Amino acid sequence: MPEAKYLLVGSSHAALEALRSIRHFDPDGSMAMLTRDVYRPYSPTILPYVVSGRSKPAAVMLRDEAFFEANNCAFVPEAVAQSLDAKARTVRLENGESWRYERLLIATGAAPAIPPVKGIDDVRFHVLRSLEDATGLRSAMGSSRHAVVLGAGLVGLHAAENMAEAGLKVSVVEMQGHVLPGYFDAKASERIEAAFTGHGVKLYLNHKVVAVEPRDGGHSCAVHLEDGKVLQADLLLVATGVRPVTDWLNGSGIAVDKGVLVDEAMRTNVEGVWAAGDVAQAVDFHTGQPALIGIIPTAVEQGRIAGQGMADDPYVKAYPGGIPVNTYRFFGRVALSIGQAAASGDVEVSEHDDGGYRRVVLSDNRLVGYASVDEPFDVGIMGELIRRKVDLTAVKDAFIARPVETGRRLMSEQWR
Amino acid sequence: MGAAFDTIAFKGSLCDGCGDCMTACSSAKKGASRLSIVPGASEKVFELAICRQCGDPKCAMVCPSGALAKDGGSGVIGWDADKCIDCLLCTAGCAYGGIAVDPGISRVAKCDMCDGDPACVKSCPTGALEYRKAGSIYNEYGGKEDLFVPGLSGCLGCNSELIMRHTMRKIGRNSVLATPPGCIPGMGSVGYNGKTGTKVPVFHPLLTNTASMLAGIRRHYDRIGRKDIVVMALAGDGGTADCGFHAVSGAAERGDKILYICVDNEGYMNTGMQRSGTTPYGSWTSTTPVGEHMKGKTQDAKNLPMIMAAHKCRYVATASTGYMEDLYEKLDRAVEASFEGFAYLHIYSPCPTGWRVPSSKVIEACRMSVESNFVTLWEYTPKTGIRFTRSPDNALPVSAYVKMIGKYRHLSQDQLDHIQAKVDEQVALLKVMAADSPPPPAAHRPPAGSSTPAGGETSQTSLRREISRN
Amino acid sequence: MSDVKESKSKGGKVIVCDGNEAAAWGACLSRPDMVAVYPITPQSSLVEYLAKFIAEGKMDAELMDVEGEHTVLSVLHGACLAGARTYSATSAQGLAFMFEPYFRTPGLRLPMVVSLVTRDAVSPTCVWGGQQDAMTVKEVGWIHMYCETQQEILDTIPIAYKVAEHPDVMLPVNVNHDGNYLSYGVARVELPEQELVDSFLGEKQVNWHACLDPERPMAVDPLTGGAGGAGPATFVRYRKGLCSGMQSALTVIEEAHADWGRRTGRFWSPLIEEYRMDDAEVALVTIGSMTGAAKDAVDEARLDGRKVGIVKIKTFRPFPIHRIAKALSRVKAVGVVDRAVNFGWNSGPVFQEVLAALYHLPVRIPAMSFIGGLAGADITVEHFARVVDRVNRLAAGEASSLPVWLNEND
Repeated sequence: MPEAKYLLVGSSHAALEALRSIRHFDPDGSMAMLTRDVYRPYSPTILPYVVSGRSKPAAVMLRDEAFFEANNCAFVPEAVAQSLDAKARTVRLENGESWRYERLLIATGAAPAIPPVKGIDDVRFHVLRSLEDATGLRSAMGSSRHAVVLGAGLVGLHAAENMAEAGLKVSVVEMQGHVLPGYFDAKASERIEAAFTGHGVKLYLNHKVVAVEPRDGGHSCAVHLEDGKVLQADLLLVATGVRPVTDWLNGSGIAVDKGVLVDEAMRTNVEGVWAAGDVAQAVDFHTGQPALIGIIPTAVEQGRIAGQGMADDPYVKAYPGGIPVNTYRFFGRVALSIGQAAASGDVEVSEHDDGGYRRVVLSDNRLVGYASVDEPFDVGIMGELIRRKVDLTAVKDAFIARPVETGRRLMSEQWR
Repeated sequence: MGAAFDTIAFKGSLCDGCGDCMTACSSAKKGASRLSIVPGASEKVFELAICRQCGDPKCAMVCPSGALAKDGGSGVIGWDADKCIDCLLCTAGCAYGGIAVDPGISRVAKCDMCDGDPACVKSCPTGALEYRKAGSIYNEYGGKEDLFVPGLSGCLGCNSELIMRHTMRKIGRNSVLATPPGCIPGMGSVGYNGKTGTKVPVFHPLLTNTASMLAGIRRHYDRIGRKDIVVMALAGDGGTADCGFHAVSGAAERGDKILYICVDNEGYMNTGMQRSGTTPYGSWTSTTPVGEHMKGKTQDAKNLPMIMAAHKCRYVATASTGYMEDLYEKLDRAVEASFEGFAYLHIYSPCPTGWRVPSSKVIEACRMSVESNFVTLWEYTPKTGIRFTRSPDNALPVSAYVKMIGKYRHLSQDQLDHIQAKVDEQVALLKVMAADSPPPPAAHRPPAGSSTPAGGETSQTSLRREISRN
Repeated sequence: MSDVKESKSKGGKVIVCDGNEAAAWGACLSRPDMVAVYPITPQSSLVEYLAKFIAEGKMDAELMDVEGEHTVLSVLHGACLAGARTYSATSAQGLAFMFEPYFRTPGLRLPMVVSLVTRDAVSPTCVWGGQQDAMTVKEVGWIHMYCETQQEILDTIPIAYKVAEHPDVMLPVNVNHDGNYLSYGVARVELPEQELVDSFLGEKQVNWHACLDPERPMAVDPLTGGAGGAGPATFVRYRKGLCSGMQSALTVIEEAHADWGRRTGRFWSPLIEEYRMDDAEVALVTIGSMTGAAKDAVDEARLDGRKVGIVKIKTFRPFPIHRIAKALSRVKAVGVVDRAVNFGWNSGPVFQEVLAALYHLPVRIPAMSFIGGLAGADITVEHFARVVDRVNRLAAGEASSLPVWLNEND
């Protein structure tokens, strides 16, 4: 039975960062990285750019063979984890093979969540989570004229933009009242929505799909909305979110809520098993409660902490909690947000809407969220101000008036 | 041995907010400036945002397209424009504002250090921005053999030990080393009881005859055709400026081909911190104590390197471990010159024990001494005369340096004024002497607008883009 | 004149020169790699001759014109540690200024030769001959040999190298000649052939015990253990070794003189010379150039039937204790003539040394001290006649043994 001191299941940002931090402390311990993919590691975030043709599929790999060789890590593609026997410390694969481990990282990420819409199993639809999905969608775009996108999240909007730019008639259906819900407040979203509308994309906000049914011998479908509207689609993209890939952990004893529950050191409830990235449900910085935050910065940070713990690195620090981040490009424009950027109520909000739009959210004179459209800012600096809970009382006016400059100043003064 | 990297360093206290660096960057990169000077907490204070070229670059870790990667050779985090998908996630990874959106092209832009010759540094008129080559030095010399045994018994934070080890690492085994009585042999470099502390031939000259003994060694080796040996001293200020001065002066006058390095810790630190001829005015020492009737030394230090320049030595230079790249360049030139004539290198060396400076602050003391002009960095050759290797313009007040040093703790305002006046006087004299010198080699040319002759234009021109506060 | 067996002398050119030039020739023929010079009366012409020889190509040595005697000896230390044979000369204040490295030379066991052109030391201010300078440094660890004539000066310098570089000795040697009388006095001198001197000295060996060579790195003179460290044993071993080298020198000096004599025909007395001592009832002890006048005075006294002899000291360090004691063992009284003062004993330094040697005899022989030739004064035959007279009276129990200052009224 193949075995590894460090077994990493998954190959995206969290697993790659775990690899790096393990090797930082333990250059020799045996290591293997298993992935269900046939390719070397790539980021799901790149996929819309494969769809648009901007990134060539062959050029999206984040690591080459030499990297794995140099890091003394066996890279095992097409290894789909089927089950975990935490007592025997083995991971069983779909191909029947089992891997024994000493320390295990669960970094299996997330998979598209398919909504329970009537008829969904009877129609052909696309998702966008893997490289095959992307190339499939790209090729479908070429032969389609009417696209319907379910969901106005990042994946849905990126794809909608790509398809609109490729000349398709695109409709986006979103249950919420605005696009990119959670990341942006209404004013910011409206700027984005206007851009889509301006580029001919029809947005069906506050709309719910109740059924889909095949048409034209399965080559297209009809999408029935709750209000009776029917949208015709020869290309249907389901982009209603993702959910952690945890089914293989059933019966293993690993505690799973929405995702794998982990503590501040990314440990699961089972000894010798860590989890990181989109699959993990770790503490949220704002609420202090476990939450899913499926973004790269979080995956990287969790992966590092998990790797340090796996390698017994004494310098490991507790996970401070995830902060949502969104850097979004649409039609060449920029929308950014970090933290509780859309919060209202018991917070102090400063909005600035003049050419660019920005929304600064303070609580107790400390930054808790920041969003902007058409007005870039240093997302990382603002993230540190949030994370460090820097008291802005003394500089508040300057910060509100000139947040970028003041943020850089505070950075330079405080964490040079 | 891991690689080390050169870096752009910023000294906010020297920045006057002129903005020349940003203009230079914009112009060099044909876009938005990749560094940003912003107003600080108060008037005349400025702060900087620039890529730190992190060893652990989070921008690269969060990049989904593999467009960012640290170059193992230069240490620069490189940005691949073709791979970049403009997702801007890197701006979320960077906590320093080091990679930001260039609004002109709606893409990120970051500092690439201009292939080791940063435009911003070259344009900085105050020396606030410096390109530090300590990384190159480390890479070049870090793997070379340390020619002293481990465990020399220097005090914690000893600057002299740093100088010794760096110097001999660079010079190598084909050398003969004299270390006259003082801290350098005192910490064990010549060894104890029949055992050596050094891997090259080493000896204790007398405190008084270092240069003379070396002259004899060199002459004989030259006579028998072994002309490639570096014959050198690592001597203290007492044996150089005081009782051994006749020997130094004589060897310099004769042009004896030796490398004489004076490690100046401003007194007899090894024997318990007594005053020497290079002890500065006002210093507490154990023979210039502070009491009701005495407040430290009542005479000024003699400026030994200037005296040596007056000997028309083949090479004379001052150096400080706070400026290692400068020190290394001078060491190169001094070694080379020592095959032709007398080469004299004067390295100012704060002593944590005798000066009452915390060990952790020694290098900072080195830098502050230079930034306040208490110590000036220059070199001399008979052909070029004296020239500054670091501009004495825009110096900090000497009080900024003095307040770091415990041996000046008792200074009255009058004493402080005296020291400032003497520093100004010294710099003015050096400027007169340096006025007609040709420009130094490009590698260590001081920033434009410096080294102005006395009476020359020193104020900033109005052309500069002042950093606005609105 | 001395009892050199002139008849057997062979080869070489004859010149007429003063003692300083003779010393310069002695140095030249010994082929040092380096000479370091700094002028001082009455040595100055000696270093001028050296510079001239080098300028004219008679001598192939590095000439170090330095800024003072301290550096003279220091550059020679350096050169010696790089494997060179070295030479210099000094006098009085120059020796005083040189004292710090001078003190160190024997401890490093550096086999160099330095001529002392002896002179009285300031103050009172004086630039004239006397042996106060050399006598003051007798305890430092250098070998000291005093010459009587210009020829002996020349011959003693190659002999001194032979002694200094001998592996049983490895010590520096001072070849001393009296300022004024010998330094400036002119005499006939035979120059040995260069080949003769070369073959006498043999190939110069690098002193590997203390050498600064990157090919063979070592620490020269690291701190030795002491009361607070590893204990004094290392230091004691070095000190004892130096004393042992000094004692070995007694034999090596005799061998070297004999070897030189066989080659040149000039057999100089190596440690002491006994003049008419066979049946002497009283003895004078002399050192250096005064001996010539002493011998004349003794010859005259013998004509008067007084049985007087002389013991001349050539090698003062190491002190030939037993040779002196033996030479004086049969006399009834001894008069020791010094050209220097031992301030603490109200007598001459050689007198003190002789007294200590006499202690080795079973009988107590009366002895007295004469101090003469200070400030370059001549000690004439007349002065020595007075000395002979006083010593005879001392032997008869008729005189006090208080010191006599010969030139007190000159």
